[in-house]
Amino acid sequence: MNTFDFLLQGLLVAAQPMNLLYALIGVTLGTAVGVLPGIGPALTVALLLPVTYKLDPGGSLIMFAGIYYGGMYGGSTTSILLNTPGESSSIVTALEGNKMARAGRGGPALATAAIGSFVAGLIATVALAFIAPFVVKLALVFGPREYFALMVLAFVTVSSAFGDSTLRGLTSLFIGFALAIIGIDQLTGQTRMSFGVPDLLDGIEVTTLAVAMFAIGESLYIAAQGDLGPDKVEAVKGSVWMNRQDWARSWKAWLRGTAIGFPIGAMPAGGAEIGTFLSYATEKRLTKHPEEFGNGAIEGVAGPEAANNASAAGTLVPLLTLGLPTTATAAIMLAGFQQYGLQPGPLLFATNPQLVWGLIASLLIANFMLLVLNLPLVGLWVKLLTIPKPWLYAGILLFATLGTIGANPSVFELGMLLAFGVLGYVMRIFGYPIAPVVVGLILGPLAEQQLRRALSISQGDVTVLFTSPVAAVLLVIAAAALIIPLILRARGRGEVLAQLAASED
Amino acid sequence: MSKGHTPSTETRRPDRAALVIAVFLAALGGLIFWDASRLASMGGYSGIGPATIPFVIAGGLLILAVWTVFEALRGDFPARDRQQFGPVVWIVGGLAAQMLLLKILGFSIATGLLFAATAAAFGKRKLWMTIPIGIALCLAVWLVFAGLLQLSLPAGPLEHLFW
Amino acid sequence: MKQFFLASILAGALALPAFAADYTIIAPANPGGGWDQTARSIQSVMQQEGISGNVQVQNVPGAGGTIGLAQFASQSKGNPNALIVGGYVMVGAILTNNSPVTLNDVTPIARLTGEYEAIVVPADSPLKTFGDLVEALKKDPGAVSWGGGSAGGTDHIAVGLIAKAAGVDPTKINYIAFSGGGEALAAILGSQVTAGISGYGEFESQVKSGTLRLLAVSSAERIPGIDAPTIKESGLDVVVQNWRMVAAAPGLTDEQKAAVSTDIEKLVKSAGWQETLKTKGWQDTYLAGDAFKEQLTKDISATEAVLKDIGLVK
Repeated sequence: MNTFDFLLQGLLVAAQPMNLLYALIGVTLGTAVGVLPGIGPALTVALLLPVTYKLDPGGSLIMFAGIYYGGMYGGSTTSILLNTPGESSSIVTALEGNKMARAGRGGPALATAAIGSFVAGLIATVALAFIAPFVVKLALVFGPREYFALMVLAFVTVSSAFGDSTLRGLTSLFIGFALAIIGIDQLTGQTRMSFGVPDLLDGIEVTTLAVAMFAIGESLYIAAQGDLGPDKVEAVKGSVWMNRQDWARSWKAWLRGTAIGFPIGAMPAGGAEIGTFLSYATEKRLTKHPEEFGNGAIEGVAGPEAANNASAAGTLVPLLTLGLPTTATAAIMLAGFQQYGLQPGPLLFATNPQLVWGLIASLLIANFMLLVLNLPLVGLWVKLLTIPKPWLYAGILLFATLGTIGANPSVFELGMLLAFGVLGYVMRIFGYPIAPVVVGLILGPLAEQQLRRALSISQGDVTVLFTSPVAAVLLVIAAAALIIPLILRARGRGEVLAQLAASED
Repeated sequence: MSKGHTPSTETRRPDRAALVIAVFLAALGGLIFWDASRLASMGGYSGIGPATIPFVIAGGLLILAVWTVFEALRGDFPARDRQQFGPVVWIVGGLAAQMLLLKILGFSIATGLLFAATAAAFGKRKLWMTIPIGIALCLAVWLVFAGLLQLSLPAGPLEHLFW
Repeated sequence: MKQFFLASILAGALALPAFAADYTIIAPANPGGGWDQTARSIQSVMQQEGISGNVQVQNVPGAGGTIGLAQFASQSKGNPNALIVGGYVMVGAILTNNSPVTLNDVTPIARLTGEYEAIVVPADSPLKTFGDLVEALKKDPGAVSWGGGSAGGTDHIAVGLIAKAAGVDPTKINYIAFSGGGEALAAILGSQVTAGISGYGEFESQVKSGTLRLLAVSSAERIPGIDAPTIKESGLDVVVQNWRMVAAAPGLTDEQKAAVSTDIEKLVKSAGWQETLKTKGWQDTYLAGDAFKEQLTKDISATEAVLKDIGLVK
């Protein structure tokens, strides 16, 4: 049998009515748990994995795939509607998505996220099936210096989330860096910024920071506006569905997001959130509607959401070809595989083709069910916004703290949630952007470790950082991304400002 | 809401709150500097030890503090909306109550209080009504997530009645 | 009560397992590494053998497991359903990190397995034998980068011992710590480091498929089924065994301790566990009760001496 026959056979099994039902149940459960802020796909899958144990291998595999995709998608729903991203990879989605939701365009935002996830999942899963062995070779070229260059590129692109003030954007980023120092230094075991508090030894949890800064900070800020506060939110303005223009602006972003997310997910130390940052920055540079960025540009939702899902499929590349679980979600999948007698590793495609292709077929079916479930629900989700504010925000805080308590039920963790929530509130008052703090916390330690590893391997020779072709290309892109806008701005400042002033009234 | 060129900034008065932020940034930088300087230099072959990057970050924070002072003196910070602090106190109080009571009273009661406090912050001050609603809702949530999905949410006297 | 009604339907529809002795196991390392594999093996065998209806594994990576240990000790106090996987690496890491939380702050239950260190190079490496690697190390210790687990762990200790036995200053080794097996393996496969060192199990499938070359193992005798010489054979007197254990939370009553010990004993005696040991290539070194406690104390003091000897602990 060749590749195609295996895939076809897998699809036939997965498309049986009973299996479709399992996929639907999986997607529903996954979405239900995944919408909770602070509960990302990894925890969702971990929580729900036991549910699949009762089924036969085929059904259990497909329900598992459904849970996985449902958990992934659930996070973006709350990001868009309530500005409370549940995990690091949907932070970027909140930037534009929530602005859209506030302008009454929550429907199109949710739709482009769902369809974008579907398109990216479809392409990436097919890519996984056919080009995994090649991608994995590329991924292994990435050593510490290449990762460091990738981080530098990511830092540059983060500046696109800075908002209108470089000072405040940089300050937010550095607050994130400062928080990132806390804990034990991975490379030498020294404790930093922990002041003898054992709870600080494992550093600041990214989800705690994200939930606190976004969900709690946001609630405090809205509450403090009192009755004077801005606007009642218009749940729906215009159509709930995407119009022609939305489609026209979304499809390229989906494809670009997929192209960015898949390879980054395939890298052993990539991580889904980096793909979303890069995709957001790309869309912002390429868009024909730059004025909409920061006010609800649909590309800014479509691209990162596609990148997020493509990178989730990308993580399966090292998992299936090398047996390397590179994310927490992948590790839990590994546990799932093992109960089917599947030992991921380099020989898996050769020794266990039925199960591998069964999994890939299940992912395709689950991806499809996700769309089937979520598109009709978009109208319902958007109704969330019509809940009166007292109940809506009380509910947000209920679920935000539920996620944190569920992940780590400690008083200290809740204390941090409160403290960072207040910090997020204060930063909002003074117009500091929130996303760079979380980004700094995620990327700071990665960049530091990879830099130190790279220099240790080269015995302190700094030139190696630039001499590897991949690293050099990444750094050149980063430099270009940094310098070109500065030049353009210096040249065209007068014009652009004039244009802005004109379009504002 | 954060447009840099609103009329109020034309007056270019020094922004006191922004000066406080500058002090905070400088203090944070100083704290990192102090913490990092007690670390052993274990750079090994890389020449970069555990303290190197913290020094860089501390330096960055100090530069940002100075920059903030400049912008504050020039009045470059955006105009701020007036804040009402009553609602903030309600929510912070609710979160603090939840944090302190969670282990003793269990998830439902502690989080129900948070729910009611948040509703109060947004204008629903009838606590005799919102607290029971909150507790009932949280109990339902507890039953689904802790009971069925086995998320570890602390149980208290109320939860033990049901499970 | 609509939700409750809904919940009952959900429960019925999914036929969820009963809630008896649900363990949560902390794997204090990144996914893919040895402790993670141990924790997940315990998970699947416990469920398969019906020792526990539902076992969850939680990864708390970093710093040789001391981050996970600290979190476990502080958050699981008195919880009879909480377990943590640990091992020899932790002993070293506690010492090098000067960790405020030690193995005295948890309740060690039993040693489960032991594994020997394997030294590998990528298949296209010019180094063909362990002798070649030692020669390269002698010529320029800095040029030989070793990829392995966290600083001060078994892998690091073993490299230090090899250097010392080869007459190279152990403080001069160029050891690159990765926080988990997965990341280190990727770096070795991609030829980012000269050589890799870790438990044999983490390299096994790569060695068998020919992408990594196994140069030596750290056992005293050759291991049946593994085609590689021992370090001893090349004239360096180095034997390192990396054992793994399971511990329970601090502050348990004697009954609770006994209950956990019984469950673990059931686990170790089960056919599923023996099968797992075979497939993973782990040696069964089960040791429980006072005998284990005694052995642990001995190991801790011996490790401290080794770490001081090679300059990792001052």
